[in-house]
Amino acid sequence: MITLEQKKFEEIQKMTEPFARVLVLGCETCAAMCMAGGRQQAEDLAAAIRTSRKMTNQAAEVESDGVGRQCEPEFMTFLQGAASRYDAVLSLACGAGVQMLAAKFPGTVVLPGCNTTSLAVIEELGVWAERCASCGDCILDRTGGLCPIARCAKSLLNGPCGGSMDGKCEISKQVDCVWQLIIDRLSGLGQLNTLTEILPVKNWKPAGHGGPRKIVREDLKA
Amino acid sequence: MKTTSKEVVVTHPPCKMACPISTNAREYIQLIAERRYQDALASIKVQNPLPRVCGRICVHPCETACKRGLVEEPVSIAALKQFASDGPWREKEARPVTSGASSRSGPRVAVVGSGPAGLAAAKDLALLGYGVTIFEALAVAGGMPQVGVPEYRLPKSVLAQEVGDIVALGVEIRTNIKVGQGITLEAIFEEGFSAVFLGIGAHLDRPLDIPGENLDGVWSAVSFLRAVSEKGETGLGRKVAVVGGGNTAVDSARSALRLGAQEVHMLYRRSREEMPAANEEIEAATLEGVKIAYLTSPVEVLSDSAMPGRVVGLKCIKNELAAPDASGRRKPVIVSGTEFVLDVDTVIVAVGQIPETSWMDGKLTLGKRDRLIVVDDRTTLKTSTEAIFAGGDAVTGPATVIQAIAAGKRAAIAIDAYLTKKPLDKTAVIPEARVERPEVRPGILKKTTKFSRSHRPSLDADQCVNSFQEVESVFSEKAAVDEALRCLHCQLGARIDQARCVSCLNCVRVCPVNVPVVSKMGEVNIDPVACQACGVCALECPVQAIEIDLDSRRQVSDKIKRAVAQSKSAEPAIVGIFDLHGNFTSDHLALLCKDFPGLIPITVFGVRRIGVGHVLAAFESGAAAVLAAPCIPSRDPYPDSTLRTKRRLNQIGGLLDRLGVGNGRFAVMDMPEEGLVDKDAVTAFIESVRALNPSPARLPS
Repeated sequence: MITLEQKKFEEIQKMTEPFARVLVLGCETCAAMCMAGGRQQAEDLAAAIRTSRKMTNQAAEVESDGVGRQCEPEFMTFLQGAASRYDAVLSLACGAGVQMLAAKFPGTVVLPGCNTTSLAVIEELGVWAERCASCGDCILDRTGGLCPIARCAKSLLNGPCGGSMDGKCEISKQVDCVWQLIIDRLSGLGQLNTLTEILPVKNWKPAGHGGPRKIVREDLKA
Repeated sequence: MKTTSKEVVVTHPPCKMACPISTNAREYIQLIAERRYQDALASIKVQNPLPRVCGRICVHPCETACKRGLVEEPVSIAALKQFASDGPWREKEARPVTSGASSRSGPRVAVVGSGPAGLAAAKDLALLGYGVTIFEALAVAGGMPQVGVPEYRLPKSVLAQEVGDIVALGVEIRTNIKVGQGITLEAIFEEGFSAVFLGIGAHLDRPLDIPGENLDGVWSAVSFLRAVSEKGETGLGRKVAVVGGGNTAVDSARSALRLGAQEVHMLYRRSREEMPAANEEIEAATLEGVKIAYLTSPVEVLSDSAMPGRVVGLKCIKNELAAPDASGRRKPVIVSGTEFVLDVDTVIVAVGQIPETSWMDGKLTLGKRDRLIVVDDRTTLKTSTEAIFAGGDAVTGPATVIQAIAAGKRAAIAIDAYLTKKPLDKTAVIPEARVERPEVRPGILKKTTKFSRSHRPSLDADQCVNSFQEVESVFSEKAAVDEALRCLHCQLGARIDQARCVSCLNCVRVCPVNVPVVSKMGEVNIDPVACQACGVCALECPVQAIEIDLDSRRQVSDKIKRAVAQSKSAEPAIVGIFDLHGNFTSDHLALLCKDFPGLIPITVFGVRRIGVGHVLAAFESGAAAVLAAPCIPSRDPYPDSTLRTKRRLNQIGGLLDRLGVGNGRFAVMDMPEEGLVDKDAVTAFIESVRALNPSPARLPS
């Protein structure tokens, strides 16, 4: 899933300060799944902003709402009237959602309430760990289902490096060396010889380094 | 049971379903847990005309169905009813308003018999506006509870008080007048009554049909118990044999002990398993020294030439059990050659009762078996004769008090429909009772924290037989509250709106007892039978897809907002959120308000339900400060949630600081072993709140 975290309250407070009427808009998909931007979080955040404004005797009309997904145009139709009623919309969606919102309502100030981080798995309740860097050219078949682009600090394609010690990455003892994990996994699968094939220098274009990416499916288009 | 997107199937909790009058036991138990005893009594009295009686002698099928029984033992639902209805707050109870009864100008209904069926019918008819007169054959009202249930189980003063409450509604009771003898049914109609309810019970003992039954010293249980209730002594012998296995037999046996019998035997023809008397009665009888002989039948009552006409012994024989008979119970078959003589001078026959209906011959249809009154169905209770209704033991044969009350209540509705010539209001009809204990996954039961059942204080087994003093006394407040907190709030639990759910699985992960189940394709279901309404998932759901009916998020918010708005103290308003699982009484609450006039106590079923929204709502409503008091771990039914709750409260504190609201306006104070708070800690907190500068008593709202 896409993971995101709510920005620190102080940052949100500063961002929303110039605006009297603010709508805190939750997103019920990825943001909700991270407990960062669902309807409930939007409601709680709106209450927090109202309270802080009261403490400084500022006028405030801070309300909250939620919508299924902010990254899809169909959901934008539900927000037509709302955009004009508020001076700013604090979106708790991921970066994509914030941008669609801004695109659909160019006359409204749209602010990001969350920081979007990565594609992650949930390890346990409350812990999301990055797994995928969305490089656009998946090599998990070659690495026993473990991604060195996302999980190796240097994104090495033919690791490990000399910094790998006792299965840990040189950047921190809390971080596993994914190449150690790859070697262990491939050994278990009887596929260690896969690593004798050296992976060539990566083409980073599919990863977005050559410009923003777009998927076009001719078979789906109207 | 699954809930699909818009469809919510609501069913009753097992206690309510099992009760013949569909008592909402869950409601009054919840009110007791909230320390709202007067409201608990009000809830009970809406349905039950004799709660103090039922609290003592009901057979409580609700407890058989109670889900708590799957964890350790059922909640003491009957004893809690007694607690709520015995308490001193009953003096302040609001009297129900009746219209037609006092004016006596409306239609009048005659009730024959002042037992539970008659009293229940009379009360409900009076509340509907009818003029009601009860015709009671005996000198005192109350039916079997008065003359059949001994004082040590049900003090006459208690029954008298409950009868008095019904009379106070304008119901007239004419005692010493036996319908069928002193007055006929025709005369009753001639007097101006428009309908009659027959609740005459079953007061004739079945005979044993063995030789010697007419000897001096052989009693019928009903006459024995009646004599005990009227005179308190009976001329009983020293060695007594009671024949029978029902509550009447046990009542006779335990009464005989108290009247000075040296030895009391009970003979029951089947085994302990089939014995119909209530378990607690059988246990009490055994503890008191009654010798129960199972698989034993009487054969002949013996006399001898030295004392002609008097009982000198009882010849008995042993049985074994064969295949079930018509009643569904295994048939006792005598084992030849096992005769023996029991050395007794008194025999009490308690093998069942039948109604005295011979006088009704020719007037209405009676059944072949035992000449029970025939009614067309259990809802309308109409006899074969126009305008005459019947219910209770006279129709069913000996049953229970609560079933008789149910019949009386049904009759009132049926009579009202009949007299107003309207069709029976189906929604008003009491549903048929179903005693079904729910089934719950063993994994959930294992994770449910155990709290043992409270027991009523009772007299010592050796001491209690010296008098007819009530053996079991009412729960103390602490025991009642502890017991009420064991309730698992069946059917008040979490419900997922599938249209909103995003399958984030948060509820699956946070549930302390592993109730929510996710399907392969991501649909999450919460079994309403298994959920214990702890509130954690409803709080944590990021999309507000979970609704709960016990202290829901909205209910708690509203409670807080209302309480702050209504607070009139000049002191800084401090909202105190207290965990109902704490070890405190209603006095502790009252004292707290007295000591700290600005403190607004909000009680919740677990501080685990409190989120940032609640705390902010308190400040938004104008509170100057908030304090949260989680309960001590040994009393917390969900210790797994404790850490998360503490962390959340700390986070809320941190957020409040950053909002500029915290910094001394929010405190978390663990409850002490006894009471609500540490007084000194609260005093210090209030001082620090006062000292905050600039600090309005209330924040601008």
